[in-house]
Formats: sequence, C-alpha cells, structure tokens
Amino acid sequence: MKLRARLAVATIAVMLPMTFALFWYDASARHRAAEQNLTEFVFGQMPVAREACEAAPSSFGGELRPSRALGPPHSHRPPPEEPPRGEPPHGGPPHGGPPHGEPLPRPPRPRAARPAVVHAYDETFHSENPDAPAVPEALARAMEEQDVAITSHVLPTSSVEILARMPWGTGPCAYVLARGTTDPTWGAVLPESNIWLLPTVAVFAAMLLALGPVVRRIRKLTEAVQRSASATYADAVLIEGDDEIGVLARSFNAAGREIRSQLEEKDQREQALRHFLANTTHDVMIPLTVLQGHLATLREDAAAGKPVDVGALVSAMDEAHYMASLVHNLAATARLEAADVNLQRSEVDLETLVKRVVGRHKPIAKQLGVSIETAVPGEPVTVSADVTLLEQAISNVTYNAVRYNRSGGHVAVILERVAKEAVFRLRVVDDGPGIPEAELSRLAERGFRGNEARSRAPDGQGLGLHITHRAAELHGYRLTLRPSKYGGLEVELEGKLGAPPG
Amino acid sequence: MGKKVLVIEDDQELGAQIVKRLRDAGYEPTWWKEGRRLSRETLPDVELVVLDLMLPGTYGMDILKDLRVFSEVPVLVLSARNDTADKVRALRLGADDYMTKPFWPEELVERVRARLRRPTLGRGDVVEVGALRIDRGRREVSVRGERVEVTRLEFEFLAALAERPGEAMTRSSLAERVLDPERDGTERTLDVHVSRLRKKLGRGAFVETVWGIGYRLGDGREE
Repeated sequence: MKLRARLAVATIAVMLPMTFALFWYDASARHRAAEQNLTEFVFGQMPVAREACEAAPSSFGGELRPSRALGPPHSHRPPPEEPPRGEPPHGGPPHGGPPHGEPLPRPPRPRAARPAVVHAYDETFHSENPDAPAVPEALARAMEEQDVAITSHVLPTSSVEILARMPWGTGPCAYVLARGTTDPTWGAVLPESNIWLLPTVAVFAAMLLALGPVVRRIRKLTEAVQRSASATYADAVLIEGDDEIGVLARSFNAAGREIRSQLEEKDQREQALRHFLANTTHDVMIPLTVLQGHLATLREDAAAGKPVDVGALVSAMDEAHYMASLVHNLAATARLEAADVNLQRSEVDLETLVKRVVGRHKPIAKQLGVSIETAVPGEPVTVSADVTLLEQAISNVTYNAVRYNRSGGHVAVILERVAKEAVFRLRVVDDGPGIPEAELSRLAERGFRGNEARSRAPDGQGLGLHITHRAAELHGYRLTLRPSKYGGLEVELEGKLGAPPG
Repeated sequence: MGKKVLVIEDDQELGAQIVKRLRDAGYEPTWWKEGRRLSRETLPDVELVVLDLMLPGTYGMDILKDLRVFSEVPVLVLSARNDTADKVRALRLGADDYMTKPFWPEELVERVRARLRRPTLGRGDVVEVGALRIDRGRREVSVRGERVEVTRLEFEFLAALAERPGEAMTRSSLAERVLDPERDGTERTLDVHVSRLRKKLGRGAFVETVWGIGYRLGDGREE
C-alpha cells in the first residue's frame, strides 16, 4: 500500500470509532442529566401535588408543569415555548403548590424539549387514570430494591423514563412514572450544531496534503540510493533537510561508506593473498629445485656406476624436510597474518607435543649428524593452547637448532614444570654457531621479522622464528633467545600452565 | 610373529611405503585401501590402527567414531591438514596420537613402536634394565647378578633414573631429588657422584650422559 493510502486508511480507522465514542458519550451524558433532572423534579413536586393526586387519582397525570402543582392535565396548559424560568405561579392552585416565595424547581422541559409527562400509580402499579400507560415490567421489578428506577434509551432515542416510589409509599399515588426527553443544554458534550466536524475534516485533509512533499522526497531519495548502488556506492546521496528523511539519507551514506571500506579491505586481502601465493611458490620452488638437482646427480652417479654419494642423499633429504617445514610455516603465516587471529585453544599436553616435535626432526638430525635429545618431567604439563600453532612454534626453534648446526653437534629440548609458579619452561639448547648478541637484540626488536626471513642463509632463521615469536605473543608466553653456555643458541619459552576453561 | 597392525590408507605409494616399513620393522601390517564402516565383526584382530583421515568412501573420523564404540585398540591418525580443529576432534573421538604429513618412515615406525611398547618390567619394587637390577624394596643394586655396594645417594640417583628407563632426566631435577641442598651442594657434585657410581657398576653404559640435559639409564651395552 502506498504511504498516502495507508495514512488515509489509518486515519479513518482511528477516527470512526472515536467519533462514535464521542457521540455515545454525548448521548449518555444528556441522558444522565435528563434522568437526574426528572428525578429531582418528581421528588420536588410530588409532595406538593400529593393532595391533588390523591383527591382525583383518575384525572391526575399528564404534562408536568413546574409553575403549579400537578393538577388536572388539561387546564392551563402552557405553550411548549413558554420560558419556564421566572414564570410566576398563576391561577390559584387549588390543591396546594410549592411554598410561596420559594424559587421554582428546575424546569423539566426546557426549550426544544418535549414536556415531561407524569402519571401516578398505586402499590400494585395500577393507575386510576385511564390515559396512564402501563408501568414497564422491568421498572416495576426494580422497585423491589430501590426507590428510583430508570429506563435509559441512550441510543438512539432521546426519551427518558423513570419510576419513583414516593416517600409515603401508599395510596393511589404511591408510585410516579415520569417520561421526558433529553436536552442539550443540560449536559451535552458536543455543541448543538455539527460545526465541530469541520475542523476534524480539515485536519484530515491537511494531513494528506502535508504528506505530499514527504512522499516526493522519499521518492527522490530512493532514486538517489539506486543510482549510488549501481555505482558500487562510489558517490554519496544528497542530504536534504534535518528531519527523519535527512537522517535516512545520512545513514544510507554511512552504510555506503562501510560497504566501500569493506570492499577495499577485501581487495587488499585478495591482493595480499596473491602476493602470498607468489611468495610461497617462490619459496617452495627453490628447495624443490635443489632437491631435483640432488636427485639428478644421484641418478647420474648411479648410471655411471659410481658409489652412492651419501652427502648428496642427505642434502636431498634435508631439502625435503626443509620444504615440509616451510609449507607448514607458510600455512601458519597465513593464519597469523589475518586481521584477527583466532586461537583454537584446547587442552594440550606439552610432554606429548615435545616428544612429537623431537620425533619429527630426529630422522633428519640423524642424517645430518646432529644428536637431538629431550627431557620431560615425569608429570603431565598441560596448557591451554592452539596445538597447531604451538607445535609449529616449538618445531621451528627445534628444527633451526638442528638445521643451523654442524655435523657432530647437539640439540637438547628440555621441558620443565615450575610447579611453584604454575608455569612451564621449555628450552631448546644447541651448540651450533649461534647468533651474535647484537644481532639477537636487533632481531627481537623487530619481532624476528626481516628481509632475511625467507632467506636460506645460516642466520636466516627468520620466518620460523617470526612464527614462533607471534605464536608465543598470542598465547601470552615469553620467548627469550640468548647464547647458550655451549656456544650455540638457547631459546626459552615460558608460559602459564592450566587447562582451558570449560 | 610380529604384532598385527591395520593400515587404512588410500594412497597407493604412501600405503605401500608404510606397509613395507612396518613389515621391515617386524610388524604384520594389513592394508585397507579405502575406508569402510567398522563393526565388531569387520575389525580384524590387530593391536594398532594407522588411519588416514582423508579417505574416499567413509571419512576417517567416522571410522574412528565407529571403532571407539566397541574397541580400545590404539589409533594413530595420519593427516595432511595441519589444522587444529581436525586434531582436537580426532583426539576427542579417541585417537591416541596423530602425525601430520609429510613424515619420515622412521618417525612412523618409532611412533608405532612407542604405542605398542610393553610397560617397563617393573615387578613392584624391582626394575631391570639390561643387566642392571635395582631393587627398591631392599635398596640393593646388582649388575649381571652381582651385588654392587652403593651409597644412599648413589642408590637414590639410580632409583630416580629407573623410574623412566630410556628417558633422559635433567641434572637439576636429579640434583634436587638426590642431593641435600645444605650439605651436598651443586650439580657439579652430582657429576662427581656419577663418575664414582659408574666405576662401581663396571663396564657398560648403564648411566649415560645426555648432552645438554643430564643422565639416562641405559641398557648397559658397551659403547
């Protein structure tokens, strides 16, 4: 549904019941006033008119005239338009009347209203007057419990009917049935004429008219948004006004900016990925080429009947091992380079992990003539860590210690549990060439990141070391590199013990 | 007869290598080239399962799940994906160990051996490693059946090593256990005690020095 139609329907849906309620409330207010008026009048006049009534019950009744006691109905009937207030009592009231000098009771029959009609009845609701109407059953029943009963015809008529028990309660005038009509001047809510409908309709029309510019502006904004969207949100939409539509345009521009920045980020990531892939290919291709060279040499030697060149064989194995470690590191880098690294922590038994790492490098260490030994405490060392990253971190420093060692060298991987401080301490010690202290502090400053990260030079432990550094950082572990007392390097990783929560 | 091992590996080359290596190492491998749903009836009588996670047919994790319903046989998982979620899941499903490809055949055989190794022959208080016998109850040490007189400290040292034969223990942990910090002093003191002990035990490397770490109880083979 269009905005305008929706507004019209909503307005009508609200206005109709409200108008009805207003009319109903108005009518019921008139009735209440008329009922009260009639009741007060009956009780005010009847004591005076009692005598007349009891004297001639058969002729008592008819239009009630406030000016005098209720007398025979056909005598001195005033014209309906006769103003009741201030009418002097005229015609000697033969059967008593209101005490002289007292102001007249309120008029039961104001202008434009039909005069009230009163009839008297005895205890059995029977009237001597043949003109008297029968007492409605409902009113008669109500007399058992109360002194005044009312039949209200709130809608749609304007007539009011009350039945009242007189204080004396006996005789032919024990009950009085009075009928009258409502009168706007007594207690109406709405004015007499329907002029009030005019502003209502005017408001309604004004509302629909006022909606025109709003609808127009929304249409304009829609077009602008569509234009902007088709240009991948490159240009902002024009902001008009400070109202809600202006705010909408502003929010749209903000959303557009957000989308643009995300698109840019995605582009950047894509580019980084392409870079990464290119670098990875380059990094893997070099050792692969070296490996192929070694294999070719071996094959040629075999064809020439030369004895197997164990050196070339070991080199080939080393290249293969290096490649494996490189690919794992590249995968780890891909994870670590992400904007926010998601550590998948779980309970990790460091003892098993350390043994696994040493087991992985032991075969190649053996080929390279490097002894690798490990010591673990006899009790479990449990930490909450991302097992892949932590294993890669420990594997890197271990493999570096093996790879950058010399034949006859040693590597020791020692895991200790410092129960007192609830920490573990892992040390990888070697007696290789080591790294000069100046270089160490320079490396540490840069987070072990450097151009030589991808280099294969002996001091180029970079990529692996950088991953170890990042993994330690993410886990909140402390990584220290220092010259070992055996002349090589000692790498220490220290961190908190404890299973992951939950 | 070697111990029976089930190898579930779809790659022809790798499977053949693994099987050959295991056979050379004295095991009796059975090779399944594809994943199958396992039940109590279809699982062959094996002492260890080497399971590749990436398999055609039934996924490795499902096989593991099936297996654990009715069997406690050790499972060594092989995975090409170095992915934490995979490892954690495999371990939760009851894998005993995992290896990430690539690996050296030696490493695989060593892992299988470690899994199938019988617990140390430690009948109560007595530990026997090669020709060395350590009786913790009587506090006696003998080599090739001959009693060797050792001091209290030397005995504690041997008993500490004998708890985990074949595994190295750090000097500091040994010193902490064996030495009285007030009287006996430093790790260097430990070395002095060890050299005395070695003389008493005679030929054979019962107490091996491990570079960078400390000592290890060897089986006494002569170097």
